[in-house]
Amino acid sequence: MIGCPEAVRRMWAYLDHSLERGPVEEFETHLEACQRCCGELEFSRHLKKMAAATGSEALPDPLRRQIDLLLEGGRLPTRERDNP
Amino acid sequence: MIATVIDADRQPRPEGARDEPDRAFADVAREQLDGLYGYCVRLTNDRTDAEDLVQDTLLRAMRAYRGLRDERKVKSWLFTIATNGWRDLCRTEGRTLATISLDDTDGEDDFSLFATLAIEDPFPYSDELHLDFLRLFHDEDVQDVFAQINPVFRAPLILTTIHGFSCKEAASILDVPLGTLLSRLHRGRRQLERGMWDYAVKNSLVEVGDEP
Repeated sequence: MIGCPEAVRRMWAYLDHSLERGPVEEFETHLEACQRCCGELEFSRHLKKMAAATGSEALPDPLRRQIDLLLEGGRLPTRERDNP
Repeated sequence: MIATVIDADRQPRPEGARDEPDRAFADVAREQLDGLYGYCVRLTNDRTDAEDLVQDTLLRAMRAYRGLRDERKVKSWLFTIATNGWRDLCRTEGRTLATISLDDTDGEDDFSLFATLAIEDPFPYSDELHLDFLRLFHDEDVQDVFAQINPVFRAPLILTTIHGFSCKEAASILDVPLGTLLSRLHRGRRQLERGMWDYAVKNSLVEVGDEP
């Protein structure tokens, strides 16, 4: 049976569904006996969700226009910010 | 500034069944623009570099697009090209991503935000201590913390947590073994947790007795 340090190491990979079956079973067996790690898993779930929500960035309009030219013309247009 | 020197042969060629994609590159690329730009901003920590990196990525991708045999992999393909471009940028500017010391931050592996909150107990009357701590943070605060994470550990965090790639996909994009990716992801997460705690203390979001 794995201990808390190893369970914590596996936590985010577990939330990402990136663990193999064996490590998942060991992790879940640990959770059944460890209230602390259940709490940290729930906390990690919220933390991950919060971090994920901060990642979106809208493409700035000037850049979108440059990219449109690039995609239509197949070449890199003169960059607006480089112009005086 | 990123040099726009293109070497189409260096771009990754995802495995797939068809010889050429069915859809025009412009259509496929436009669907990925916001995500790609967000990735580049978080990766470079600099909007000017990010804008250059997005355009450089699209130029490289455009020239290699006919070799993409599975359109379903276009997102990871573009993110891989962007990652390679970012490495080139770092190399150009003399940053040493590949040779960063992995030993001097080992102590951070022991940090646990969950445990620190329980010990420091910044909200003695709260029934939701840990969630109340997270509620202190606005998006800009989290972005500031993200920016301070070592880029070697930040990249896996961005790919999996923000952009929804599996660890296996992230390992492929970053061209590292899965075990390395998992280790870096763990350490990135620890740096995120430590960064959030330090940020909260530094900006007086929480009051801790022993802090100045």
